[in-house]
Amino acid sequence: MALLKRIKKAAFEGGGLVLFDAVQEAMKAEKVLKKADYPVRLVAPPPELRRGCDLAVEINLVEQPGVERLLKRDKVDFVEVRPVRADAPGILEIVRVTDYGEWVMVKAANMKLTYEKKTGIIVNTSGGGCPDIPHMHAALLGRRVEEAPRPAELGYTLCALMLDRALEESVSLRKGGE
Amino acid sequence: MLLIAGTVPIEEMPLTCGEVEADGEELVVDGRHIRCNQGTGAMVSAALATTRYLGLEPPQVLLAGDIGQGRGSREIYEYLIANIAGLAPQVLSLHYWLPDMNLTRRLCAAIEKCSVRPVLIADAASMYSAKAAGLASFFDIFTPDTAEAAFLSDPVATHPAYVRFMTYNDTERMPEVIQAAYANGNAARLMLVKGAVDYIVRDGKIIETVTEPDVPVMEAIGGTGDTITGLVSAFVSAGLEPHEAAIIAARANRMAGKLAGVTPASGVARVIERFPEVFKRFLCEWSGVCATGGVE
Repeated sequence: MALLKRIKKAAFEGGGLVLFDAVQEAMKAEKVLKKADYPVRLVAPPPELRRGCDLAVEINLVEQPGVERLLKRDKVDFVEVRPVRADAPGILEIVRVTDYGEWVMVKAANMKLTYEKKTGIIVNTSGGGCPDIPHMHAALLGRRVEEAPRPAELGYTLCALMLDRALEESVSLRKGGE
Repeated sequence: MLLIAGTVPIEEMPLTCGEVEADGEELVVDGRHIRCNQGTGAMVSAALATTRYLGLEPPQVLLAGDIGQGRGSREIYEYLIANIAGLAPQVLSLHYWLPDMNLTRRLCAAIEKCSVRPVLIADAASMYSAKAAGLASFFDIFTPDTAEAAFLSDPVATHPAYVRFMTYNDTERMPEVIQAAYANGNAARLMLVKGAVDYIVRDGKIIETVTEPDVPVMEAIGGTGDTITGLVSAFVSAGLEPHEAAIIAARANRMAGKLAGVTPASGVARVIERFPEVFKRFLCEWSGVCATGGVE
């Protein structure tokens, strides 16, 4: 008789945790996210990240914006999304502005958004590497920064979130007369 | 054979594999048209412009539609995992996709089983997943920008949005950032760090910098980093050593931007259309390869 070889299913490893105050909410989140095809698993959060509930949902951290949006839409009560590693820093808040004369480029982490000073029209986005970024490049170009769709609402990934930060800063700069 | 894998922002596009050809400013694969905008489209366009000039066979591409939800990305991963040994590319360039650490591990395990290991190049989110999975050193070439170099230097971060410090083209600190990436084991054997100064780094040592021509507005143009990766991929598939390919790619990209007279409002297609002229005028001088029989 041939020996049966047990094939070990590869464990999901996403690098991000959704934290909850109640176990029921964690279970509800798992169900909602799985239904939307997000790879997730229920895990115990590390002690330093426990918020009163012993159950967390591990997600692919890159998909944080899409996950948060879906949980809010389905009224799942979560505390926060953060990296699994307790020593990981928080999300980057620093932006950098480059003046190109007629145009201004705003950088947030790996994402850049450039608009024309006179009109506020977005003329370029660059950087990033997640699949929603080329999609947003097409969606944002030619729109005024004040009227452009928000990448945080349109996109699904951390690249989109950083592009949203750049857009937010651009709107703020325009209000300030840039 | 050069195989380029990545997502394109056409939601309904199924997994598509085949030889790529140009049709004006668009790419055509298996009858499907793809715009050469920011992302995999720009990278493939640059690679195709290079192979055409050199008289080489066009790149093979493995593309799938994905606007961020990950389905197309997972199809690419799974197809590569199942078929990489049979495809047997000489060079495998991975580009835009939803980073997935577990699938990246499985892909690297499949590549390890290939009878002839391809030269492995990663940019964009395929580089993020390689680093996050702890597999950066398995790769032959990374082409990060300065923000992505900061991400590679951070031992904990799994995405550039979560880094301890950001360098933002800080040329004084960049050598230190590069060293940290190698010290943490989060760098490929060769890296081309794209920025105001382009650094070509081999095994942790900066072996060349490229600063001319200086066209600062190129940073604003979506896809001008992708074109560099396409150029590197094509030159490696043409038989150049990775560091030679990286140096020529950095120079060619800058020169194309200069000749195109780009502004921050330009599209990347304006840069790509200048590559044949750049190769004709400078490739012999830069590479020593002068009788290519290339076409414009």
